[in-house]
Amino acid sequence: MKKFITLILVLSLVFTVVGCSAPKDTSSDNGQNAEDVDTGNNGDDNGADKKDKYKVYLITMDQMDQHWVTVDQGAKKAADELGNVDYQWLAPDVKDDAKQIESINNAIAGGADAILLAANGPDAVTATLKEADSEGIKIVYVDSPADFPAVQTLATDNEAAGKTAGEEMLNALKEKGITSGKIGVVSVNASTDSTVKREKGFRSAFEGTDFTILETQYAEGDAARSKDAAANFITEGVVGIFGGNEGSTVGIGNAIKEVGGEVIGVGFDKSDTILQLIDEGYLLATMAQNPDVMGYEGMKTAVNALEGKTVDKDVVDTGVSVLKKD
Amino acid sequence: MESNNSSKRFKRIFSKRGMGQVITVSIGLIMLIIVFGFLNPNFFSYRNISNLLRQIAPIILIGVGQSYVLITGNIDLSIGSVVGMSCMISATLMTKGMNPWLAVCISYISSIFIGILNGKLISKAKLPAFIATLGTMTIARGIAQIVNNNYNTDSIGAKAEGFRNFFYYGKTLGLYNTIWIALVMWLVFNFILSRTRTGRHIYAVGSNINAANLSGVNISSTITKAYLVSAVCSATVGLIITATSGMGTMDAGNGYELYAVASSVIGGVSTLGGQGILLGTIVGASIWGVLQNGLQFAGAPVAIRNIVIGIIVIISVLLDIVVRANKNVTKSKSKGKS
Repeated sequence: MKKFITLILVLSLVFTVVGCSAPKDTSSDNGQNAEDVDTGNNGDDNGADKKDKYKVYLITMDQMDQHWVTVDQGAKKAADELGNVDYQWLAPDVKDDAKQIESINNAIAGGADAILLAANGPDAVTATLKEADSEGIKIVYVDSPADFPAVQTLATDNEAAGKTAGEEMLNALKEKGITSGKIGVVSVNASTDSTVKREKGFRSAFEGTDFTILETQYAEGDAARSKDAAANFITEGVVGIFGGNEGSTVGIGNAIKEVGGEVIGVGFDKSDTILQLIDEGYLLATMAQNPDVMGYEGMKTAVNALEGKTVDKDVVDTGVSVLKKD
Repeated sequence: MESNNSSKRFKRIFSKRGMGQVITVSIGLIMLIIVFGFLNPNFFSYRNISNLLRQIAPIILIGVGQSYVLITGNIDLSIGSVVGMSCMISATLMTKGMNPWLAVCISYISSIFIGILNGKLISKAKLPAFIATLGTMTIARGIAQIVNNNYNTDSIGAKAEGFRNFFYYGKTLGLYNTIWIALVMWLVFNFILSRTRTGRHIYAVGSNINAANLSGVNISSTITKAYLVSAVCSATVGLIITATSGMGTMDAGNGYELYAVASSVIGGVSTLGGQGILLGTIVGASIWGVLQNGLQFAGAPVAIRNIVIGIIVIISVLLDIVVRANKNVTKSKSKGKS
């Protein structure tokens, strides 16, 4: 009997948690966790939809990064301006190929006319995209493309941006009178296309100089693990450290802060914590992408394509802004 | 007569609870340290040693938690998620302007709740530990995601400077506070496990749950206590991560439960229960940390590091099995003599 009661209590607790969390999630406009809720909603929307509105979904890698929130804001802004778009953001809770495929399937099931997609990787989602394409859904890549033809790709040219980051560091080192030494790189992992390209661009900026760039340390974007890797680099006597994404940049910034800023840190992405580290003088600069432009222009491209207008450019570089202490 | 008896018991405990493996693995650790010391002149620098110890400290903490649970013959898969939950709860509350120490208390309380839930689900509702903690793992990660509405938090701000120093950046007597925290918690939990009745009950439950039950050990409260220790250790690591990054990340602690199993197992804690000592967990965690640190200095790609760590985990368990098989032989022999 006791066991039974415990079991019931626990079950009711689980349901309460689930129950509390689900509506909160849907009310906040940052995508959904529970797939059943999604498809349920979509079915309703589909019925009510009279096809005078285009149904456009944004599918990002996850819901966590401020980056995706900004893409969403850009897309929403364009959707509001256009007025003929029924827009929704769908995203897996964590970056995971299978979960992204589910999200795309949900969008197809939800009657999408167009999908704005930030693909996790070049290959994993192509089969699902083929299916979407066969249903006549227009695909526009924002942030990172997959290996499948689409209307347009709006993304940061990550290699060029990485090179810009490298040049910023090189100039700062020259100003300090440093012309040789070791440089550390902290990044996410070896399979994320965007960060791999940033790294490549960063390295290319140092070609022909006397600097040695050490083996990249991957910390999955975890700020605490990135900090450990960066602290090890500093012990090794590096003169500069590059961070490949938000978590990595926070990590290297904190490591440099701890030793009082003797090392030059250049990172990627923009967040409250990163900007604070730049203000305090521990990070030299961060390469901020323009995710709002991706979302905004991506939405316009999608609607143009749906309205049968020609889209002239295959690839649009949305550029980076170099943010420094002013 | 009595002292003779107790020294015998002392010896028996030492051999029974895997001291042999701890010694073997320690030799391995020392060899690793020597090799890395040769490869990299900075390895023994004050800065690297203090950094290295601070990198090991969180692994020791989660290792202690997992060891407690493993010794009872169970497993705790919720460790990584509780780390993330504690990190996100504390960081969110701090960004909302709450006093950091109050936020710390709330993080501990919510983690303790998960610990009790784990213990009761397993001991009272008789759920397999693997399933029960798989459930709480998902729940805790969900809580980590929802507390700040599915976003990583902003910076916890200048008000939390004291908190950040206490858990990570500050030093006491030349050593980082993180190291002291791990050391003090290890001492306390080691004392409980090796010197108190609760500790003996934990071993008893892990060795033979039916025998323990028949001899009057409160199974439910013993298992719950083990999970409580695990939750408290995980919560502490979550707070350390918040202090490190100065923000809350929903992904914090991802996969830590497996690091914890690895460091326990390398240190001679048996996944079958009833065996292992926390000294082993320190050595296991140190091997893990030294490899991470040393291989980075050696310029080895992360992939190589993962492979090496995997091999070490397998070898140490193999070692344990072989040693135990031998011991059983000698045991039955000595029994025959007496």
